[in-house]
Amino acid sequence: MNMLSLQHFPIYSIMVLFLGAFLIVIFGKSKVFRHAVALLATFASFFFMAMLFKPVMLEGQTIAYWMGNRVPAGGYAIGIALEVDALSLFFGLLVSCVVFIACVYSIQYMSHDDNVPQYYTLFLMLAGGVMGLVLSGDLFNMFIMVEILTFAAVALTAFRNTANGALEAAFKYLVVGCIGSTCILAGTIMLYAQVHTLNLAQMSALIPGNLSTATKVAFALLFIGFCTKAFLVPFHPLAADAHGAAPASISVLISGVLTKSGIYGLIRLSYFLFQSMALGTMQFWLVFLGSVSMFVCVTMALAQHDFKRLLAFHSISQIGYVLASVGLCTAFGISAGLYHAMNHTLFKGLLFLAAGAVLHETGTTDLGKLGGLSRKMPHTTVLFLIGAFSISGIPPFNGFASKWMIYQATYQKAVETGNIGFLLVTICALVTSTLTLASFVKVTQSVFFGQLPKEYENVKEVPFGMRLAMGILAAMCLVTGLLPEAVTRYLTEPAARAVFAVTDYINNMMGAGYAQSAMTAPPAVQSVSFASAGVWSPISWLCLLMIALLAVSIVAIAGKYDRVSVKSPENLGGKYDLFYGGEQTVYSQVGGDDLFWGFKHNWRHYFSFMHELHSGVVNDYSLWAVVALALAIVYALIVL
Amino acid sequence: MILLNYIASFFLIALGLYCIVVKYNLVKTVIGLSIMDYGVNLLIITIGFNPGGTAPIFTWGELKPESFFVDPIPQALTLTSIVIGACVTAMSLALVMKLKEMYGTTDTREIRRLRG
Repeated sequence: MNMLSLQHFPIYSIMVLFLGAFLIVIFGKSKVFRHAVALLATFASFFFMAMLFKPVMLEGQTIAYWMGNRVPAGGYAIGIALEVDALSLFFGLLVSCVVFIACVYSIQYMSHDDNVPQYYTLFLMLAGGVMGLVLSGDLFNMFIMVEILTFAAVALTAFRNTANGALEAAFKYLVVGCIGSTCILAGTIMLYAQVHTLNLAQMSALIPGNLSTATKVAFALLFIGFCTKAFLVPFHPLAADAHGAAPASISVLISGVLTKSGIYGLIRLSYFLFQSMALGTMQFWLVFLGSVSMFVCVTMALAQHDFKRLLAFHSISQIGYVLASVGLCTAFGISAGLYHAMNHTLFKGLLFLAAGAVLHETGTTDLGKLGGLSRKMPHTTVLFLIGAFSISGIPPFNGFASKWMIYQATYQKAVETGNIGFLLVTICALVTSTLTLASFVKVTQSVFFGQLPKEYENVKEVPFGMRLAMGILAAMCLVTGLLPEAVTRYLTEPAARAVFAVTDYINNMMGAGYAQSAMTAPPAVQSVSFASAGVWSPISWLCLLMIALLAVSIVAIAGKYDRVSVKSPENLGGKYDLFYGGEQTVYSQVGGDDLFWGFKHNWRHYFSFMHELHSGVVNDYSLWAVVALALAIVYALIVL
Repeated sequence: MILLNYIASFFLIALGLYCIVVKYNLVKTVIGLSIMDYGVNLLIITIGFNPGGTAPIFTWGELKPESFFVDPIPQALTLTSIVIGACVTAMSLALVMKLKEMYGTTDTREIRRLRG
């Protein structure tokens, strides 16, 4: 077979990352070499994924690759496979793109740290693990990749081990992450005992017809395992701890890429392996879990005092949106969920990089200590604002487009099924979005606006490389927000179709006709309808915003508005400073916490309850994991 | 015989989880993780076991349709799982060591700077 044929590209795109990791271990002493290798490896990975765009997304092929060319024999898939359908490719593209941008950012961001070669090794291992997970066609290999990425993420969380809480966060993540991984392994092997294969396609053909108690328990185990990787409630405290302590470029990967791998696992599990999403009870399970994550995490975020910890809670809140939307089991819902997943990776990456820029220059992420940085770091401020607008769902940025689709999808589902519960999800999503905006007003006020503390007088703008990475992400936020039709047509719609085309997926791997012969009742390919997708149009909302802005400007100009130019007081000594009875100017920053004191006061019982609940003791978090596992097993036994 | 293995493996997994949840000493938490891991390893091996089967080691000529041997795939999986378990133990012990240096204690109730 030709070495350059498309068949090989998935394995290349995983291999270059691991190869880069090993090369850096050996030759990483040289700065130029390790930067070149890291950039080349991540870019090559993205390039190989991008080359698959045309055949998979546009022509609808499924790329199957058998390691060592061990194709299925006698109806059994013994070899290890990679299979890339539109769903895998969607996540693969997302992962490789963000990994490359994070790598560009790392070069200057990590320049002051020790042990930088180890950082790049772990970074590439983490990226390779996620790529392997999303492209793998073998359940056990998925487990191995989960372990690789968990280890790399834990090690990177503890990378700045002198930072406050880094070791602690890493240990907690390791313990609960290992419970999750063990669940995945136990679930995998219990499925193997039932169907005697590990190939995803063959399992998808064999499992749905023969559900037994063991497979139901296995479902619950795998489900909880992937929930741990996506940090859904009740695993959200780990995400907050890990994000707060890890370097910003790693937070981008943990929030943008690792959580997506969990979501990917959940989709593969419930739509492919068990094909159980047609059940109303399963839809309820996913949507409920998503809504709870969405709401609980946004309220947790409101009460935070640390920049990155706050972003981490928002991250899980947005993952809640994705899961709730994916759990609807409509083509439109899945498309909206995947769109939001992509947007979340972009804007949350941007926000974390902005937080990293602030940390890089000031040395702290404590919201109480920062303030007024917009004068010192204007570019970072603008980029941060783009991210904040995106996550709050303000047009014309991408968060608006996908959130709008999610509202529509949940509403449409409520109308179709006549179930009032889905309407509550729409309301929950709207309220969460509002609270997100509120908490970003708080962050913007306490970090970038207001008064500049004395000790940050000499803060400078971050180096160009870091701004470049942020700029790319900001541009992507804007482009995906302005062109929702294109994104839907070329990225999320093929992926959503792939989710329902289980029979094609199986036949592509196992040979034509396998699905029909092996499955007791091959599922009907669900009709994919985007009927209401054309109703919304962000452009009209953009026009509305423009008109409103224009109206405000006209009023301002027509009224007695005089242009006043204020010379910057820093340059003119004390002459133009505010005068308070002859005393020195008092530092009086309006803190972020003061903005919503009324809201917080009214909800003080809830907030103090949540604060007590998130005790920080690893035993409590493990107990939550065990309780969640027990509940999942009971629920799976009842409903599946 | 086989049933006993299954019971033992699930007992070990439950014991490991119990240890992680109830014990406040970091080292005991690590031990809990290991016990849980052993439980899963035992489960995997048990699933691949055929009573009366031989070891799955053959050359091309020896392998006949009537050969009766234990399932080799779970054994390969167990090997991988054991390696991963060793990594977990090594890494978590390294973290425990560093934590003890920094916090001066191995009590999980006192290692809670990140909370709320």
